[in-house]
Amino acid sequence: MSDTDEDSEIPEESRESETAEAEEETFPAQRRAYTESEVIMSTVRVVTPFVLTFGLYITFHGADSPGGGFQGGALVGVVVLMLAFAFGIDPTRRWLGTKAVTLVASLGLLVFAAIGLGSVVLGGAFLEYTRYPLEDAAKYGIEAVEIGGIALIVAGVIMGLFFLTAAGPGGDVE
Amino acid sequence: MEYVAYALVIFVILTGIATALLRDVLAAIIVFAAYSLGMALLYTLLLAPDVGLTEAVIGAGVTTILLLLTIVKTVRPGGERTFERLDPRAALACGALAVVFGLTLPDLPAVGDPNSPILSYDAVTGHYLTQSYAETGVENTVTAVLAAYRGFDTFGEATVVFAAGVAVLVVLRREVFT
Repeated sequence: MSDTDEDSEIPEESRESETAEAEEETFPAQRRAYTESEVIMSTVRVVTPFVLTFGLYITFHGADSPGGGFQGGALVGVVVLMLAFAFGIDPTRRWLGTKAVTLVASLGLLVFAAIGLGSVVLGGAFLEYTRYPLEDAAKYGIEAVEIGGIALIVAGVIMGLFFLTAAGPGGDVE
Repeated sequence: MEYVAYALVIFVILTGIATALLRDVLAAIIVFAAYSLGMALLYTLLLAPDVGLTEAVIGAGVTTILLLLTIVKTVRPGGERTFERLDPRAALACGALAVVFGLTLPDLPAVGDPNSPILSYDAVTGHYLTQSYAETGVENTVTAVLAAYRGFDTFGEATVVFAAGVAVLVVLRREVFT
């Protein structure tokens, strides 16, 4: 939970230290990205389940009410950002591992492309859902694209941008 | 309702100007989050809850967090002044631009005006509004347009979001997101 354990598991150690030194000269007043605060931790502990539920609702119910994959995916991604904000960026980064975020974002794009190209294979146009031999193919196709495609991409990229910005160029992870 | 909308417009304009003029970046980011919150409420009031949700999550939430993370790596400018000193030429240019945009306002159709081009041109809008449920089976017309009628555009947009993540990876010379 504390940010005393600074060892990041990011490669390119040498370049990291170089850039860190250079930055030290330019910005002598380096501040930490993470401050352990009882208030933030308690708030996040209470709020997180609701935000996650709301995000999933917005994602899965987006076809019939305001919202959809973009907004819901962003909310689900923000849950991880809140956890990192409250309990430390590095512990959250280690908890996620190196593969999860990349996998989520890439899987979303692949699912979207597969559904789109699938209808081309079946002789239709790109994303022509009614080509799929299913009942209510358009409805389920839209749901699949929103949930399995857009939501995953947005959630993954938002988490990725957060951890990348926190890490900065060539390291100096707080 | 109207007065709430007017109040929100004034709030959004004031926070927008304050964001540009505040000298302390932390204060500017906080005011910018307030601006996004005002915009989200305004969109919701104008019956665009999908856009309002996006503005609230991305504008007020994610952007604020990313900007906060960014200023951790910079220094805050010192000095006593709260606001940045105004460059008269820049202020003149911005003011002129605002006046030019403002002059077009009286010609815009009123919100929900049935004679506005977007609603009177029934071949497109009318088709979406009346046929989207029958054709796609989803009740939210916005979702139907995004994922079905304009699905190829949405695929392009999703790819752009993914590409943005990859671009940051490239710029920061990293190989993994986390």
